Amino acid sequence: MENKNVLVVGSGISGIASALELANAGVSVYLLDKEAVVGGRSASFCCKATDICSRCSACVVLGKVKEAVTHPRIKLLTNSTMKKLSGELGNFRVEIEQQPRYVDEERCIACGLCTEVCPVDPKAIYPPFAEATPFSYILDKGRCLRFKGERCDLCRTSCPTKAIEFDLKPKEQELRVDAIIVATGFDVFDAREKGSLGYGRYTNVLTGLDLEHVFTRDGYLRLPTNGREPQNIAFIQCVGSRDKDHEYCSQVCCKYAMKLAGLIKYQNPDARVTIFYIDLQTAGKGFAQFYEEYKESIRFVRGVPVEILQTVSGELEVRFEDISQGKVCRDTFDLVVLSVGISPGKNTWDLARILGINLADNGFFDKKDSLSCNETNVDGIFLAGTCQGPKDIPDSIAHGIAAASKTMRVLAESASQRRGH
Amino acid sequence: METKIGVFLCNCGEAIKNIDFDAAVKEIAKFPGVTCVNLSSDLCLEEGKKKMISCIREENLERVVVAACSPEFHEHAFGEVLEKAGLNGRLLSMANIREQCSWAHDGDVTGKAVELVKMAVNRVRLLQPMEMKELPVNNEVLVVGGGFSAINTALQLSRVGLRTTLLEKEAALGTGTEELESLCGFDTSSMVSAVEADKNIKVLTSARVMEVDGKIGDFSVRIRQEGGEILRKYGAIVLATGHQTELALDCELKLGLSIVSQEEFCRMLGNPSLETEPKTIGFIFDFCDENSRFPTLATLNNALAAKRRWGSEVYVFYKSVKVDSEGAEILYQEARDCGVVFLKSEVPPRIDVDNGQVKIKAKDVFLGEDIILVCDVLVAEELHLPTEETANLSSLLNIRRDSRGFCQEENVHLYPVASEKKGIFFVGGCRGDLDLGRVLTDISSVVMNVYELLSSGKILVEAEKVEADPQKCVACLTCIRVCPHGAIQLVRINGGKEVAGISDLACYACGICAAICPAKAINFQSYRDEEILAQIEAI
Repeated sequence: MENKNVLVVGSGISGIASALELANAGVSVYLLDKEAVVGGRSASFCCKATDICSRCSACVVLGKVKEAVTHPRIKLLTNSTMKKLSGELGNFRVEIEQQPRYVDEERCIACGLCTEVCPVDPKAIYPPFAEATPFSYILDKGRCLRFKGERCDLCRTSCPTKAIEFDLKPKEQELRVDAIIVATGFDVFDAREKGSLGYGRYTNVLTGLDLEHVFTRDGYLRLPTNGREPQNIAFIQCVGSRDKDHEYCSQVCCKYAMKLAGLIKYQNPDARVTIFYIDLQTAGKGFAQFYEEYKESIRFVRGVPVEILQTVSGELEVRFEDISQGKVCRDTFDLVVLSVGISPGKNTWDLARILGINLADNGFFDKKDSLSCNETNVDGIFLAGTCQGPKDIPDSIAHGIAAASKTMRVLAESASQRRGH
Repeated sequence: METKIGVFLCNCGEAIKNIDFDAAVKEIAKFPGVTCVNLSSDLCLEEGKKKMISCIREENLERVVVAACSPEFHEHAFGEVLEKAGLNGRLLSMANIREQCSWAHDGDVTGKAVELVKMAVNRVRLLQPMEMKELPVNNEVLVVGGGFSAINTALQLSRVGLRTTLLEKEAALGTGTEELESLCGFDTSSMVSAVEADKNIKVLTSARVMEVDGKIGDFSVRIRQEGGEILRKYGAIVLATGHQTELALDCELKLGLSIVSQEEFCRMLGNPSLETEPKTIGFIFDFCDENSRFPTLATLNNALAAKRRWGSEVYVFYKSVKVDSEGAEILYQEARDCGVVFLKSEVPPRIDVDNGQVKIKAKDVFLGEDIILVCDVLVAEELHLPTEETANLSSLLNIRRDSRGFCQEENVHLYPVASEKKGIFFVGGCRGDLDLGRVLTDISSVVMNVYELLSSGKILVEAEKVEADPQKCVACLTCIRVCPHGAIQLVRINGGKEVAGISDLACYACGICAAICPAKAINFQSYRDEEILAQIEAI
């Protein structure tokens, strides 16, 4: 498979799984991401282990990211987006636009001097999250004085390796590739759309993703308002899944909510945790024992709350229908976590237009037919991971490898056909 | 002659301020074997690496210590620098004087930095080079099973040019796929004829695996067929032994005309000359087996089909609908729109048979009241279980299963289709209950994994990364018993003594054997006891 090039759009776990498989099979891979760091969403998820591993797979991601970044046959294109596509299987021409980073990742030694001297608060130049790859500082154009027309030059002059440069223009380049794997992932449902649940209005209403980031950053849970340990926590399932606008199950929320609830109970056995649900999705590997273990200590309430209001004392009053009792109930909590679902990525429409691939009714990219798992309506363009529909980390990895497998096959077949001519 | 060690210190663009580097350099230069100490401010940049290469060459260094940031960032790159300078990349030891020293403390930490470097120097002196070597592998694959997953795995493997043997215990391929066929809408007979026409696929029917020996790239499998036994060699083994279902019924209830399984119900649906069409149908799922998604999918499909075909009244009793598979929520909506009545209940319904009619009694959670349904046909709840063959094969191959008996105990560090033994994979129903989308993904991903391992006919591995010292080994078999990867076997060495031999191909370098060996005969390259002890001595 030498002399073959494949473009993987998106460097989340499924994109990385595809890229690694192809690169190990001898294919040259361009790994494109619109963000400055590789790894996508799952790289920022927290470990949910108590004294035993809860099998959330978050740790697997970081190892795979590192493997991909150091692989000699994978070329990273961060801060890049796809502008135009022409050609066909075996000969795609892709126009790429790469936004400047302003901090040269080859030269940044992550010494931290620039952050020290930056006069803006919060800092306009800062390190990426702890496990990010490449670990190169990020300059936020929105905060930096230089991009507001001022003449601040502090970070640039303090940089010992001269890695910072302001006057840079976006770079454009054309890639020639044989096939394309789309692995652009998902967006988390914006809980503000469900106004009655108070996300964005009440500080103590968090989303599942916020909670992941709290545990990644701090390792323990405190109330955002007063820094105390929450004693009474509610998880609300199916926020942005299984409703009129999202006619699908996001497949991950029951798992992460229960594992996070388990972690909270482990750290603070006195905390009371309630999970409001419609149907519990307890299928899948290793989940049965987990559910058995927490069935008693976590309160499960069948019914999805409609409204959250803040009381005078700052507690959150949740109004819900308790179906087993057949009446509307109220209960107060310190902290409410909305288990937000997986939504199609915001740039899915644009990308579908550029690539000429179809979208399914639910807004994700569409498969060619029911007996295919990665193929699209365009030959040579394949789907990997959550851009095709909700998936957890192991399913995303498997789907990424499957996309690589399909790509290998068309490359092998097109090569043998050409020989046949 | 003493080994020449070079130490490269980096002050990270002079950002490390609480280490007195001049004093440190003087201290370090006194360590035995250290022939040169370099201080630089940009070791990880191109110019720094170039300087490092030329220094290694000029000073004829044999071992290198880098004292800089966390090995997480650049250990790999420094390894490459050593290779470029003509040294083995493994002859490098790193001291983390930034994250674990300078940034971790306030005030002067020169003393700690020097100690960290001393530890690294003591270790690097004992490091040994690691070579890569190529080992040949057999590129024929054995797929066990004859259902949808097995057939499609074989077909896809053949398309990427790998020869495959399909081993089925029944007399023909594709038996027992009727239920899946009606649920998923594929055609087994065309797949079977594609297999028969494929020159790359050999089919063995009425065959059983009796014994498996060897390891990845070289499995020898003893197969029993009607005519006798044969011994074949394979590079990889894929298990596609599927799942089985069992009815969850009280003992006084029996299958019959009024109580049927999902499979039997599918047959009734497909029968154009059914004597009497059932007017009222009840389905039950998710009470006894709360961890399977397949019963949900089967029920939704069959309930919809019955509604459409016969216009019957359909009632579904369940606890939670498992919609975490593609398209399941839409199917659930569709069934409800068509008039299928869904009745949620927290406890299993009570079933009585009376005069050929089935009476189902359940407490509906929405109404809070008991409901009694008299129906013509009850489609009973099914438990989703692994097959006996899966159990037999996994004990033959000595691979672990999960708590429900399915293959692949969840190990997040393995790919979803991989087992803890290299070269053995799972696909489809044998590793849990999967919907069609997941099965298709499994098939492709197993094909990719196998292709990567076997397609070139050889595998590049690190040679002797874990080694048993034949002098010390007393063949106590402890390591063979604990190795989860089946990588250790007894081998006879010169002189007739039998000792533990660790296969470079099958070894994952997990280190369990090295830790447990009572004779301390097993050594883990770069982490040998003397290397660790030498580091401790430095403190």
